[in-house]
Amino acid sequence: MAASAADIRSALSIPESSTPAAPQPKKSTAAARKPEGISRELYSLIGPSAPSLAAQLAKPRLKQKPKFGGAGAKVRWELRAFKNPARSDSLELRHWEKVTPDGPSEYPFSKYSVQPNTYTYSQDEYTRFLEDKEWTKEETDYLFSVVQDYDSRWYIIHDRYEYPNDPQRSLEDLRDRYYSVCRKLIRHRPWAGDDLAKAALVSSFQFDKEREVMRKKYITSLENRTPDQIAEEEALYVEVKRLEHNERKFKRDRESLLRILAGIDSGLPDIVEDDGVPLGITGDASNTKAKKKKGGQTTDLDSPATPSVASLPASKRPHSTKNAAYDSQHCITRTEVPSTSVATKAAHQPAYLRSFKLPTPKAAIAPKISQSLAELGVKHTRLVMPTRENVHRLEALMEATTSLVETKRVVDKVDYDIQVLKTRLGLREQSHSANGGEAKIEGGDSMDIDNSQVGDAENEEGEGGRGQSVVSVRSGRSRKHPRRSMSVSSVDTASTRAGTKRQKRG
Amino acid sequence: MANERVRVRGLSIHRPIIYGNSAVVLSQKERESSSNPDHTHRWTVAVRSASSAPDSGIVGGADDISYFIKRVTFKLHDTYPNPSRNVDKAPFELTETGWGEFEIGIRITFVQESGEKAISLYHHLKLHPWAAQGEPEIPPLEQAIKYGPVHSWQYDEIVFNDPFQNFLNLLTQHPPTPLPKTKRRPVPFHLANATPAALEASKGGIPEFTAAMEKEETDKLEEARKQVIAEQERWREKLIEKEKELERLQKEVDAMG
Repeated sequence: MAASAADIRSALSIPESSTPAAPQPKKSTAAARKPEGISRELYSLIGPSAPSLAAQLAKPRLKQKPKFGGAGAKVRWELRAFKNPARSDSLELRHWEKVTPDGPSEYPFSKYSVQPNTYTYSQDEYTRFLEDKEWTKEETDYLFSVVQDYDSRWYIIHDRYEYPNDPQRSLEDLRDRYYSVCRKLIRHRPWAGDDLAKAALVSSFQFDKEREVMRKKYITSLENRTPDQIAEEEALYVEVKRLEHNERKFKRDRESLLRILAGIDSGLPDIVEDDGVPLGITGDASNTKAKKKKGGQTTDLDSPATPSVASLPASKRPHSTKNAAYDSQHCITRTEVPSTSVATKAAHQPAYLRSFKLPTPKAAIAPKISQSLAELGVKHTRLVMPTRENVHRLEALMEATTSLVETKRVVDKVDYDIQVLKTRLGLREQSHSANGGEAKIEGGDSMDIDNSQVGDAENEEGEGGRGQSVVSVRSGRSRKHPRRSMSVSSVDTASTRAGTKRQKRG
Repeated sequence: MANERVRVRGLSIHRPIIYGNSAVVLSQKERESSSNPDHTHRWTVAVRSASSAPDSGIVGGADDISYFIKRVTFKLHDTYPNPSRNVDKAPFELTETGWGEFEIGIRITFVQESGEKAISLYHHLKLHPWAAQGEPEIPPLEQAIKYGPVHSWQYDEIVFNDPFQNFLNLLTQHPPTPLPKTKRRPVPFHLANATPAALEASKGGIPEFTAAMEKEETDKLEEARKQVIAEQERWREKLIEKEKELERLQKEVDAMG
């Protein structure tokens, strides 16, 4: 029998509350209904003060059928043929697929087949940045091709790595070489985006060989402990815990004693508490964990050596916004003063106009640079608004253009070499076929020889075209295409010639 | 004060200026009344602060720059009497009449506190209207009159490195009026941006330098750089491809012995 609020009030002689007891009967009716999930006996004991937990106590209704796929609509599956776009052959396999109104979909797993951005380098780039006395260019080329073949899966790459006269590369050697080459390429190539993105990309190729070797050594030693060693370690750990515990207890006692007697703090240093690692429980897993936590210097070895991106460019001196506003109002730029520099009168840079410091290209390639820039509508000798920012941009632009011109120059050189080799090959072919012609002495052969001479003439013309193409960027490019097709046709004639020759011989 | 003459290291401070000239065609009456009847134009060459005062009739010159410039010397063509003209106080400008364009030497001397040497620069006196490609360089006078005043101005920034403390104080007491953010008047014409659209934008009144011009040029340079890099990317690929071909051919040649 539950006491009503009115009863309590009267018992404690509290005046009747202003609110009438109207909701009471309602409540009782509500209470009469037993909430689900509470047994009848329990409910009669705790009565209407049923905990709000009742809802959570509700038993899962296992007997009810789960509803899948909405209101009983049937799901249709169909055996369909599909192609995996990652395959180069057009193998067709079949799989079950849910029938959707919008027809057959793309192979859903193809989105996981991500091709990593592979880096390649030219001879020139190699000699400039990538030289390494441990590695030859051929071997580096080989490494890159293997990495590409096996999709940067390093264990497989290491397994399959078979370079002739291979000086036994470890997995770390390979990774170190690959990543360092990538980093150098990114760093030295002109970058279209901002510095932050570049730093992020470089740091994504970060690889610390020393550290990786250390890490593996450490893991090996960890895994190679004998049971005795493990037991000893455990015992030591328990011992340390015990000592710490004692120390704490001693400190606590001393503190309370001092406070009681003299009202001062003990002044003993706090003992650093180890966080709640389950104490010396048997089992290797927990033990390794405990050990890792204890060994302070090893904790972060597991994380790859990727320094946080933000910290890289942020090393420039930070400025409060107030200072920055002041500086920009007064057109002030601050730079780090090298501490070593001695203040001398001679070292002082006199006042100048910004436009005095516009970058100038190297005299040898200046005409090509101004032409390239003119095509882009830029005059490198003058700026409309030579502000600091714009001068920097112009510098960056000039740098990029210089390297473009350099690359084109190298392309021309290689092109020339190719032509020379082709001519030599062509000459050999010609002499061979001429020999064949002599052997046969047939009227038809002379026509073949004529053909080959035409091909050679074309080759020479191609070289002439190359020489002119240096002058202009656009025209050079447009001229390149016919030249290439020309060289292809000359190769073609050579091969057909070879073919006819063989036929005749046979 | 001894510490006033200490250089503030690691600091550079600049002041935006413009230099150039405006020119108008003289009327017949003016020509007759002048001592040189063959002079066809009146021009004013000047060094001023970069931003323009609102509703002023000149390009730039919102601030008095005599707090850091002591003197500007204009070196005129030798045919002018007394060709080297000193202007010792603001406004640093010189008005003359003439009939032809020539290079004017401008020498800016700084106030004594700066401890800096004078700097020299050149300006090509512009009398004839800016012409689009293909139009005659020098139109007949009657047409030039219709065109209105000719403006040729170059923005620039004078940079002081490690200024003396007292000179720095002097400069910071006079912060320059910032350039207006948006275009309010015609855009000054410049040879580095000599497109027909730019020519059109420069017409119709007294031009004014704006921060938008700087932004526009920044974007243009950045865009150009992106294009160059994309082009470079293509060429590098081509190069690598060609090197491979070369290698293949070399092997072929070697194989044939």
